[in-house]
Amino acid sequence: MPIYYYIVLAIVLFCIGIVGVLVRRNAIIVFMCIELMLNAVNLLMVAFSKMHHLKNAAINASAGSDGQLFVFFIMVVAAAEVSVGLAIIVMLFRNTHSVDINFLNRLKH
Amino acid sequence: MNALIVTAVLGVMMMFSSIVLKRNSAIRMLAIVGLLFTFIANVLDSSGVHFFSINIKGMMHFDQFAYFFISISIFCTFIFFLLSAKEMERIGVNYSEYFALIFFILCGIILVASFTSLLILFLGIEIISIPLYILTGSDKKNLKSNEASLKYFLLGAFSTGIMLMGIALFYGSTGSFSVENSVVIAATTSPMLLIGILLLLFSMSFKVSAAPFHFWAPDVYDGAPTVFTSFMATIVKAAAFIAFIRLFSLAFTPLQDRWQLIVAVIIALTLFVGNITAVFQQSVKRMLAYSSIAQSGFMLMALLAFNTFSVEGILLYIVAYSISTMGIFSVLVKMKDSSLEEFNGFAKHQPVLAVALTVFLLSLAGIPLTAGFLSKFYMLKAVMHSGNFLWLIIFAVLMAAVSVYYYFRIIQVMFFKESDSNTIIVSTSFKWLLSALAIIIIVLGVYPQLLLQFLV
Amino acid sequence: MIHLLQIDISKAVNEVENAGSYLPIAIQLLLVVGLIGLMLLASHKLGPKRNTSDKLEGFACGIESHGDARKPMAIKYFLVAVLFVLFDVEVIFFYPYALSFKQLGWDGFWAVMMFVGFFLCGFIYIIKKGALQWED
Repeated sequence: MPIYYYIVLAIVLFCIGIVGVLVRRNAIIVFMCIELMLNAVNLLMVAFSKMHHLKNAAINASAGSDGQLFVFFIMVVAAAEVSVGLAIIVMLFRNTHSVDINFLNRLKH
Repeated sequence: MNALIVTAVLGVMMMFSSIVLKRNSAIRMLAIVGLLFTFIANVLDSSGVHFFSINIKGMMHFDQFAYFFISISIFCTFIFFLLSAKEMERIGVNYSEYFALIFFILCGIILVASFTSLLILFLGIEIISIPLYILTGSDKKNLKSNEASLKYFLLGAFSTGIMLMGIALFYGSTGSFSVENSVVIAATTSPMLLIGILLLLFSMSFKVSAAPFHFWAPDVYDGAPTVFTSFMATIVKAAAFIAFIRLFSLAFTPLQDRWQLIVAVIIALTLFVGNITAVFQQSVKRMLAYSSIAQSGFMLMALLAFNTFSVEGILLYIVAYSISTMGIFSVLVKMKDSSLEEFNGFAKHQPVLAVALTVFLLSLAGIPLTAGFLSKFYMLKAVMHSGNFLWLIIFAVLMAAVSVYYYFRIIQVMFFKESDSNTIIVSTSFKWLLSALAIIIIVLGVYPQLLLQFLV
Repeated sequence: MIHLLQIDISKAVNEVENAGSYLPIAIQLLLVVGLIGLMLLASHKLGPKRNTSDKLEGFACGIESHGDARKPMAIKYFLVAVLFVLFDVEVIFFYPYALSFKQLGWDGFWAVMMFVGFFLCGFIYIIKKGALQWED
């Protein structure tokens, strides 16, 4: 399959994520949309990695493997973010009994 | 490399120190001694004494600039510990964890100061950001702190997503993560690369809170515990700048004419929004948040011209700005709230502190004979030498004049208003330290070579 | 002879660009959806409908359910869940190591040991902090 299919799919997923972040008001769903963005990037990275591998396999047998390694790092960092983010959301929920981000206007003067 | 490993290990040590050490003063002592050791390790590293030999596969490169910046940020953190480490006790029970998180942030700062691969840039930015989300929300019962932390987290993660997309597109068009001119030159015609650079530009402006991506900064700086705001707005911000400048100066100079105009517009917007909004703030903390946005406009000028002036200017700027802002925040922490009225008649109660604060504010406003003036001058000179953007220089000078208004308002309130007897208690050592910092600001303003001679 | 649910590998390598090579998958998808739809429809139409209180109750492994699902839970569950996410995903780094175990040799081994060491530090830390203690 041509690389364009993957690029289009990843960009579409990424844009769904961006729109979700901007439109939705529930902190958990906003958070899920951010994860969607990260996963769109993961998909694109893997596709590019395969592409570069096919292009340069003759010169370098391990060409393109760095893209896949990057994906591992994105996944791990995303997990770290998830744990911190969920902790923050739980903390907020314990104090306000809501995860609606419209609620967050105490700092606006 | 020394400092990187030492800070990581120290972070873990600080984590366990809460279990081993019972007294807060012991924990504080350990942190300060550890930081001193890190500083020494880094200075030794820059003069060729390497503690560890690790093959980093060309993912990082420690040049003299990186070493120097790392030393500066460790030194500023050291000052931060001396000024405000005691105040952290008031935030919560997890005293040693705050130090651990700060050490981890330092670890991230070292990564972003020396990366040559986008992977390290990404990891460094995240290692800086994730502990900051926690520190912002560390005042667990305070709704403002909670809210700031959630906002910072959601927007920070969002900008990370955009940055990753930029990196992915960069990788797609160049086939490599390494930040080099040659990689970019091979793919200059690719539109994918241009979009990638644009996304990286946007996400990095987000991290340094440049307009129009600044909207999180006032809320987060206002909501976070004041102690951590002073850390976030100075050292961390400086590190984000270094990452920004390093990325664009190492890799994207071949496409300079494509993105420099966008940067110039971002700078103009940042200066405008930061300065004009700061004028209308009633809370000093929020005013400082906007002022930090305005100052980042000047720091961004290093992106328009990569010459010796901008390199020297950005370092001088970071030192001048960090020391002044931390000094003001360290006094602000000790006050009941951060409204302007708290400063009424401050000069009568604490003449020494008032004079020191005046020096800091003058430096931030860019009055001659202070380091702040000279650093602004260097940045403008750097842009002047690059030949373009004369309009930006004129606009920046204009905006610096606006900034004088809101900085002088605090000075005026301190010296010429009557107070209603509320005063703060400070130790003598704190007074000495703050005066020493004020003297540093003045000395650097007269004789900047004292700092910049280490750069060669 | 047509192999409906089988890909001819010798062809597939060359004609991977061809949409026709995905035909078996499409057929299988159709079969799956059709079969499930048929079964659901048949049981819906043919089965008798007797609603009793026992049958309308939510089924939870035969254990009697009690209370509302939106009841606040003890914070410990969240803590364990968050820690699980963290420690679960870190294991991802062992996959590339397992693949290049031989080539990396002792250097790789020590690098992984360092990773495990940091990992263990975190684990000891959460145990010492009492994050996994269930009884107060």
